[in-house]
Amino acid sequence: MTTGTTGTADEAPLFGPESRFHAFFDDPRWALAMIRATVLEAAHPQIGAALADNSTFMAHPWRRLRNTFLSMRRMFDADPAVREREAARLNRLHARMSGSDSRGRPYDAMDRATRAWVVATLFESAVTMCRLSGQPLDQDTMEHMYAEYRVFLAALDGDAGELPEDLHDFWRYFDGVVEDELENTEAARVILYRLFDHLPAPALLDGAPALWAAGRAVVGPLLGAITVASLPEPYRRRAGLPEMPGAPTLMQGAYLAAGLTRFLPDGWLRAETIIETLSLSPDSDDPRARTVAALRARMKRASALLRLLTPLGGDTGPDPFPAARADTAATATTEASGESRRSAEEFFRQVLDQTGDGHLDWPDLAAMARELATRLDLDEPEETRLYDAFAAWWRELQAALDTDGDGRVSAAEYAAAVPSLAGPALIRVAEVLFDATDKDGSGTIDAAEHRALFRTAFHRDLDLTDGTYGRSAFVGDFLSFMSGRRANTPYDPLLADA
Amino acid sequence: MPRHVACVMDGNGRWAQRRSLPRAAGHRAAETSVIDVIEAARAAGVEWLSLYAFSTENWNRPGPEVDDLMRLVRRVVRKHAPLLLARGIRCRFLGAADPRIPRGLAQDFEDLATLTAENQGMTLTVAFDHGGRRDIVEAARSLIRSGTPADEVTERLFADHLPFPDTPDVDLVIRTSGEQRISNFMLWQVAYAEWVFPEVLWPDFRTPDFLTCLDAYRRRDRRFGGVPPQKNGDPS
Repeated sequence: MTTGTTGTADEAPLFGPESRFHAFFDDPRWALAMIRATVLEAAHPQIGAALADNSTFMAHPWRRLRNTFLSMRRMFDADPAVREREAARLNRLHARMSGSDSRGRPYDAMDRATRAWVVATLFESAVTMCRLSGQPLDQDTMEHMYAEYRVFLAALDGDAGELPEDLHDFWRYFDGVVEDELENTEAARVILYRLFDHLPAPALLDGAPALWAAGRAVVGPLLGAITVASLPEPYRRRAGLPEMPGAPTLMQGAYLAAGLTRFLPDGWLRAETIIETLSLSPDSDDPRARTVAALRARMKRASALLRLLTPLGGDTGPDPFPAARADTAATATTEASGESRRSAEEFFRQVLDQTGDGHLDWPDLAAMARELATRLDLDEPEETRLYDAFAAWWRELQAALDTDGDGRVSAAEYAAAVPSLAGPALIRVAEVLFDATDKDGSGTIDAAEHRALFRTAFHRDLDLTDGTYGRSAFVGDFLSFMSGRRANTPYDPLLADA
Repeated sequence: MPRHVACVMDGNGRWAQRRSLPRAAGHRAAETSVIDVIEAARAAGVEWLSLYAFSTENWNRPGPEVDDLMRLVRRVVRKHAPLLLARGIRCRFLGAADPRIPRGLAQDFEDLATLTAENQGMTLTVAFDHGGRRDIVEAARSLIRSGTPADEVTERLFADHLPFPDTPDVDLVIRTSGEQRISNFMLWQVAYAEWVFPEVLWPDFRTPDFLTCLDAYRRRDRRFGGVPPQKNGDPS
């Protein structure tokens, strides 16, 4: 084993609240640095291919952000048992990802050199973020931090042999990868140019779509420009990224401004609070959700008043919306029937197509299994049972729905065959999910188990007996959500939230 | 004092005809009466006021009159929205489901209902594109969909499936212009209502006329005596 692995791992400063890494958690600069690191990761052909195939960040970016954040925090937890468990979980998760990219080159999320690159981008982005905001790290701090990141890699991989031992050699390694291996991958382009322009509103702001879209139209391109300008010059040249006048100044200004928040009182900015608040959905039972819901109700009333007070054009003029009438008829019918049901297309986009590529294939179902396993904090062998159940469901879906035989299911194929979704394999998925949720094996889901899966207390409309949720009711609700396309069930935030 | 008063606003057309004006003028003149009655009811302490503005059968009227009415209603809703909010009146619209209702008007209905939803004063229910039978059929559908066994259906349970199930039974119905018909209005809720039929046409109906009707209701109670112990609520 190389130096700086388990030996130093138990020394307090490398992990826990004292570590450099921990100090960055609540630093707003870290948000910019993370975007930059993600682009550098995605530019690696292996990671880019894995992201393009498996990642849910296009369709469910907020959920992905929350999961990544929680995982990182566990990896740097002061308790070694927590770190080991999280590393094992990440390894199992990544072991399930392999395939080949659009040019047929194989990728494997367990590839050691590739994983070293992920850690390298995180470290390099942290250093760069300090440089760009005008507060460069001194040599000692940098070396200490490098040791931290090597330990992080060692926790994942067993040892940190893929990263140079010495910081001096690291820079040569880093520049070498940037110059020789990075490409203008699809995934990097998606992050730079599509993700922020199409970013769905987080659960918190779901009720204010106009506000969200307006903010996004301004911030999206800005974030793209800032990120491009902060990438290493050799990569910008190779990938053919634009050099926009003023972009470097904008980028440095953004980092500088984010760095100034260090003068704010302690505890004002806490990444965890921000992420948790963004993921609040209005019907959750969190006390903060009530405040949010009240605020949102006031906003709704204010905008209703505003609309009513806006003068109408011409009292005696013709109906200003004559053409809209046919439209209204259509909307009215969907609204009448759409209260509890949603369109097949919407369900496909929000729930089934987890990777947001417009097709339903195995990575989509694997992403569902991944999300459920993460929520329930499953260990082996329950995790494998859940994945197996989803795999069997995928075979069933493929056999039933893939009419053109291209190995995946398109939205049209799905819409043509919705009823056949609820086959025996889906029932099996529901049963396995029930067993996994029912941790104490009591045959019912109690309040705590329900909270672990849905992050909220029992819903009023659940079919409850003695305050618990029985197997048949659970399986029935799951099936009606997955096949009957019932919206507004507790299952909604589980798989449909952005 | 009646808890729930309903008005069938009849006679706008005849009011206009008597003055050799187009029917639309009658509808326009009704606006003042509506605002007057809302204010009078609130001041008299009526808790629930329902106005029959437009029935499902009214769609059979000539197209231009319907269009004109829609525009008028939209103008009235928007004009008086701040007043209704300030007076603490909770507004809602019964029916209003037909796709023929212009989108702008439907939006205004929704906005006014949202705006005043938290108000604690009188509840104003405007029956627009309303049909009493249709509501009952809808309630029956909803009951069947909920899978309630036939033996368990009671009047109370049935009423819970009607639109706005919190609405109490109507105590007093005022139908202006001397017409003496129900015209498919809130059929379920008027089961035990007292009816008065003032001869005055709706555009001429003002606060004193409204108070006269309330008085008639009170005298009627006194004459027949023996007020049922639970006259507003559950008949079952």
